[in-house]
Amino acid sequence: MNDKIVKEHQFAHPISKIWDAITLEAEISTWFIPADFKAEQGYNYTFKHEAEDQCTTINGEILKVNPTTELVYTWVVEGTDIITTVSWKLEANEGGTFLVLEHTGISNFPGESAVEMFNSFSGGWDNCISGLEKHLTAINV
Amino acid sequence: MSKKYSIDKIFKALADANRREIFHLLIVATSALSLTQITAEFDISRQGVTKHIKLMEDAGLIQTHNKGRERFCEVNPTPLNEIKDWLAVYDKFWDDKLKSLGDFLDKKA
Repeated sequence: MNDKIVKEHQFAHPISKIWDAITLEAEISTWFIPADFKAEQGYNYTFKHEAEDQCTTINGEILKVNPTTELVYTWVVEGTDIITTVSWKLEANEGGTFLVLEHTGISNFPGESAVEMFNSFSGGWDNCISGLEKHLTAINV
Repeated sequence: MSKKYSIDKIFKALADANRREIFHLLIVATSALSLTQITAEFDISRQGVTKHIKLMEDAGLIQTHNKGRERFCEVNPTPLNEIKDWLAVYDKFWDDKLKSLGDFLDKKA
């Protein structure tokens, strides 16, 4: 496991329709999170997510806009200083549009990342976690 | 997301090669090591090691206690679960949102 979340999805809809859904403020606000958003490089957007009593604000900067195929922005949850990156890649195909969504986190840290640390343990993250869990259990005895 | 540990601090604590090695050393040791023992393993000063330990202690990754004139350090890997949780939270978040996008597109047709 690494720190990158990748979601792939095939939509039976034309690419322009999906592009609109992920770039137009009114549409983003409908299916995603109420937004102040402009698909312009350098624009600082805001997503305000309100659920029950909790309100989470996400800020970020639009890094890349290639109409109908690629949209990249940073993703920073207000109150933290962890800069993560969200990237939307669209590709038109026979059945409609193929989406690859990537959300990268820890590896955005300068220098060697925490992930490399986990990978440096033999077997990588999964073994590391299970090893730690065993270790924890041992401590708790 | 209420949390006992600050994910920012955990990331910062792990964003340095020396600190990761100290952490690894303590994991492998499976027992508390004195500051002197840790310093002996590294090419950095005792002061440097102390600074690194302090940052990791702030993140909850290390616990220290004094015994006589020595300071002992013990590892606490629990905060790493925060990183695991971070991934789990976003994994589900994006699944939900993509489903929502699909529904939105279907209705818009």
